[in-house]
Amino acid sequence: MATLRQIAFYGKGGIGKSTTSQNTLAALAEMGQKILIVGCDPKADSTRLILHAKAQDTVLSLAAEAGSVEDLEIEDVMKIGYRNIRCVESGGPEPGVGCAGRGVITSINFLEENGAYDGVDYVSYDVLGDVVCGGFAMPIRENKAQEIYIVMSGEMMAMYAANNISKGILKYANSGGVRLGGLVCNERQTDKELELAEALAGKLGTKLIHFVPRDNVVQHAELRRMTVLEYAPESKQAEEYRQLATKIHANAGNGTIPTPITMDELEDLLMDFGIMKKEDESLIGKAATAA
Amino acid sequence: MSQSAEKVLDHFHLFREPEYKEMFANKKKNFEFSVPAEELKKQVEYAKTVEYKEKNFAREALTVNPAKACQPLGAVFAANGFEGTLPFVHGSQGCVAYYRSHFSRHFKEPTSCVSSSMTEDAAVFGGLNNMIDGLANSYSLYKPKMIAVSTTCMAEVIGDDLNAFIKTSREKGSIPMEFDVPFAHTPAFVGSHITGYDNALKGVLNYFWDGKAGTVEPLKRKPNSSINFIGGFDGYVVGNNREVKRIFNEFGVKYTMLCDPSDAWDTPTDGEFRMYDGGTTLEDTANAINAKGTIMMQTISAEKTAEYIESKGQEVVRLHHPMGVKGTDEFLMAISKLTGKPIPESLTKERGRLVDAVADSSAHIHGKKFALYGDPDLMLGLTAFLLELGAEPTTVLSTNGDDAWAAKVQALFDASPFGKNCKVYPKKDLWHMRSLLFTDPVDFLIGNTYGKYLDRDTGTPLIRIGFPIFDRHHKHRYPVWGYQGALNVLVAILDKIFDQMDADTNGIATTDYSFDIIR
Amino acid sequence: MSATAEARVNGAELIEEVLKAYPEKSAKKRAKHLNVYEEGKSECDVKSNIKSLPGVMTIRGCAYAGSKGVVWGPIKDMIHISHGPVGCGQYSWASRRNYYIGTTGIDTFGTMQFTSDFQEKDIVFGGDKKLEKIIDEIQELFPLNKGITVQSECPIGLIGDDIEAVSKKKSKEYEGKTIVPVRCEGFRGVSQSLGHHIANDAVRDFVFDKTDPDKNKFESTPYDVAIIGDYNIGGDAWSSRILLEEMGLRVIAQWSGDGSIAELENTPKAKLNILHCYRSMNYISRHMEEKYGIPWVEYNFFGPSKIEESLRKIASFFDDTIKEKTEQVIAKYKALTDAVIAKYKPRLQGKKVMLFVGGLRPRHVIGAYEDLGMEVVGTGYEFGHNDDYQRTTHYVKDGTLIYDDVTGYEFEKFVEAVQPDLVGSGIKEKYVFQKMGVPFRQMHSWDYSGPYHGYDGFAIFARDMDMAINNPVWGLTKAPWAKAA
Repeated sequence: MATLRQIAFYGKGGIGKSTTSQNTLAALAEMGQKILIVGCDPKADSTRLILHAKAQDTVLSLAAEAGSVEDLEIEDVMKIGYRNIRCVESGGPEPGVGCAGRGVITSINFLEENGAYDGVDYVSYDVLGDVVCGGFAMPIRENKAQEIYIVMSGEMMAMYAANNISKGILKYANSGGVRLGGLVCNERQTDKELELAEALAGKLGTKLIHFVPRDNVVQHAELRRMTVLEYAPESKQAEEYRQLATKIHANAGNGTIPTPITMDELEDLLMDFGIMKKEDESLIGKAATAA
Repeated sequence: MSQSAEKVLDHFHLFREPEYKEMFANKKKNFEFSVPAEELKKQVEYAKTVEYKEKNFAREALTVNPAKACQPLGAVFAANGFEGTLPFVHGSQGCVAYYRSHFSRHFKEPTSCVSSSMTEDAAVFGGLNNMIDGLANSYSLYKPKMIAVSTTCMAEVIGDDLNAFIKTSREKGSIPMEFDVPFAHTPAFVGSHITGYDNALKGVLNYFWDGKAGTVEPLKRKPNSSINFIGGFDGYVVGNNREVKRIFNEFGVKYTMLCDPSDAWDTPTDGEFRMYDGGTTLEDTANAINAKGTIMMQTISAEKTAEYIESKGQEVVRLHHPMGVKGTDEFLMAISKLTGKPIPESLTKERGRLVDAVADSSAHIHGKKFALYGDPDLMLGLTAFLLELGAEPTTVLSTNGDDAWAAKVQALFDASPFGKNCKVYPKKDLWHMRSLLFTDPVDFLIGNTYGKYLDRDTGTPLIRIGFPIFDRHHKHRYPVWGYQGALNVLVAILDKIFDQMDADTNGIATTDYSFDIIR
Repeated sequence: MSATAEARVNGAELIEEVLKAYPEKSAKKRAKHLNVYEEGKSECDVKSNIKSLPGVMTIRGCAYAGSKGVVWGPIKDMIHISHGPVGCGQYSWASRRNYYIGTTGIDTFGTMQFTSDFQEKDIVFGGDKKLEKIIDEIQELFPLNKGITVQSECPIGLIGDDIEAVSKKKSKEYEGKTIVPVRCEGFRGVSQSLGHHIANDAVRDFVFDKTDPDKNKFESTPYDVAIIGDYNIGGDAWSSRILLEEMGLRVIAQWSGDGSIAELENTPKAKLNILHCYRSMNYISRHMEEKYGIPWVEYNFFGPSKIEESLRKIASFFDDTIKEKTEQVIAKYKALTDAVIAKYKPRLQGKKVMLFVGGLRPRHVIGAYEDLGMEVVGTGYEFGHNDDYQRTTHYVKDGTLIYDDVTGYEFEKFVEAVQPDLVGSGIKEKYVFQKMGVPFRQMHSWDYSGPYHGYDGFAIFARDMDMAINNPVWGLTKAPWAKAA
């Protein structure tokens, strides 16, 4: 049996993280890999394109109904989608109540104990925006994901997030085996986006593993709750995801310990590329009327 | 004034003196604004009714007087069973004060255990620094051979990662790189104390057998002729483990008792405080992987550990707190089967003596109705023993026993003519039991110390078997396993039956014709 | 060198020696909590109320213990929900011996354990809905309860449950029923102490401020007082109350041992609040002073010397009739205390005691020991603050060893070196010292005896100390064939 490959996608919300991950995983499935997706976002949207579903019943909502996680069977929570990709959504509470981070821990423990990982080549965790608490770091603990792929773009906030996630990885990289696999830039058509992404990757001690160009076919596929790989397998965009998948597949063991940068360094970088203007100290804190 | 230096009255009698009685009455009348007597009486009676029972059983959210504790308590129990081991609980410090008190009240012994004392800042930033400093302090002060780490619910909610934290602590020099620190996550909001026992014990075995958290090569099993014994979370561990060792020695088998706190919780008073005493050696713990098989005395208390041991290729015999004649038979036959050694004549003779005792006394137990509650394995063993004695365990309840457990109890009922009118109640508490004792009365109640409130409220005499026992001394020193243990249980039950019989028949010139001198 | 100066030097050496076992950083921190008292100083010169070091085996508990276990738990006609996982409520179930009179399970609930028994799903999805249901079920099954408190365990604050909103909503639904949310999560603060404070504040906010002052009608008298900070362990508050009533005062409330919610509500009408455990209830006493103008006075009912002093101090707030009666009370019990001292002092004279207890006892009981001719040579507080240590200077002698938040290691070493005749501390410590052959009494639970307060209690105290120290078992710890060391 080949060793189980565990990866995770992190990235700021709205960046196209789950679209990118599902398309890439669909491409990996096309290559013959057996895949399990574990959605770790309370929104539970990490598997919809694979399952053609609005939202899957989540581990936690089913557990809440049944009484406790122990009352669940693996069949209740694991659905099979496109190319036999196994799909699980951890789920979580409504915004503003409970502890979504603990939910991630609960779900992953349940999946491991109930053999969800048996017989797959890849487990992919799709994790909410940022490493905000210990629970959301669960997928990067030892014996979980070996490599993290950060989905980002040339936008300022996406770069901040990428740097923050790197900090989270660094914390665990020293004690465990987790590594940063690389950045995936999802094109937003900002200025000098490719160069900026490459520069950030360089600063973080990693590489830009792929630059995914923007293409409307992604939206068309999404409207049909499909991946591009399934909706338009011949399209150029599908080919992009295949390339990304191939690179990730070949990237086993090539991850690095990230070298996150300070806020000042990040701002310098953004300024170098003209994304951020040099601060005019005299303007700070002045209201529109005062200017 | 009733007090005097010659005859000092303490709380037992002082407050029955007239000056105090008057004071209580005035306090109540003038300042408590308490419930009118009529209303009180009405509710007292109503709480005995079937209607109240139905309401009581309709509860979905509230738990009242549960018979279970939380995971880390079991983890501390497990840690205490290993040589020179200091239990270390990562999280809030109050929890550790509670575990130590709880065990000390039961065993009347010291219980050493440390906390990483996490406070509000650790809640926000995580408890890594508490682990780093905590391990360094414990190691320097208490010179353990091993520190076994578990978690409180606080650390679990914020998602602290023990593996990573302990590694970092080693790198920061808190403890030597090769010092043994097994660990287990033990969230209090999952399962009960028995789950924590299971997780912690599995954590220890996993640590020694599978490469000490990635620091050395995993062990390769080289099967030998010895066997392992795992007792589970057991309030009688002091008496039981010694009895089981005696049984193994009668057999002449090589054995390793995995988790043996029987010395740690039974140290002598001889002028020296032993923080650590006895316990499974770390060497034996590692070598236990090579055993032929493992006997699980309370499988529900160690299900995950059982599976883990099986995954290493060992045969695991799953028992459920075997008690009584047939229970002990099963236990001995399992030893014999695993080791290939015959059951020694000496034990067969002990069996005969137990059967003799049962035969002598069973007339007094036959047909008596019992309600019992406690940990799920104990309930299985006790139910089987009562059925064997011809008693009827009509109400069997467990707070931490689930539906799968209930099915096992039901199977015991179904297999015995005495089980016909018996009912099992999974996931219920002692307030449910209170209703049942009113609506479905029994002759005797069996349970832990908290059962005394049920005894008081319902008039059902309590026989104390279980954990914790706070209000009787030294019960933990007497085994309940093996034929000798069964005899102890039999005598405990009989004593209560006879005491009750005497109390029921001592009315002078009314009932004392039955106040027999010979029973 | 005088004997006490010598004790001081030895004590300082001992502290230095004990600190050597710590890693350097921790030794530095612990050094500030340990000292030898110097006669005449107004401070014990130890740091207190600071976070315990991780891993040292502190004896302390948590804020939940301070609120549920100490302040609120004894209020007998309310139901106190241990809100969170099952353990906290289980371990603190009926273990503190807060005696009360009532029909348990029907109109009083002191020795019961009500818990929301949190499961994983309650953590993940939040527990507010469950709490609502719990309150409904309580109302259904325990309709005679006079109020409910929600005692928060750690997870509540971590997952952001809004127990205040639930309490408010349910209070409204049940016609203004007193439902008190208490934010006493165990990780707050450094010990039980913050829990006391939080619980005091909850009384202020949810009992005083929400109750119609005319709810419980009774005629006020000029002699109305409230006992504050007596938890009625083994009946302590009762053997205190009887003395106050004998001196002509009327006790309108007991806080909180054998207390009821009505008594809490009565208290703003008191003329004087008399405060035993300063640590756990000074907050609410100060509040009542500010808001209702009720003065408060600290007292000490351990041992005849302090009782006499305290009775006169309390009487000084009242007119001559009270003062006269007070003298009569003192005279009345003189024969009893003389007899007790005559009987026990010869057996206890000169015996050395080391203490480590909670709120007030590390200082309050010293007088009682001295009445019996005994000497306290070391003392410390689990969760005292600086004001406790200042008050301690009135009690201790030169050369007394002072240890704040003592660790298991330190306590063991101190006792080993000082070789006292008796150690008074808690259940966790009891067996450690007994194994060492040192007589021991639990000074939280009175070792299942009591009461120790008042004149009646002093007789029991004396008997118990005697039976601990002069127990023949201490002559049996060495086997006759064991070689002399």
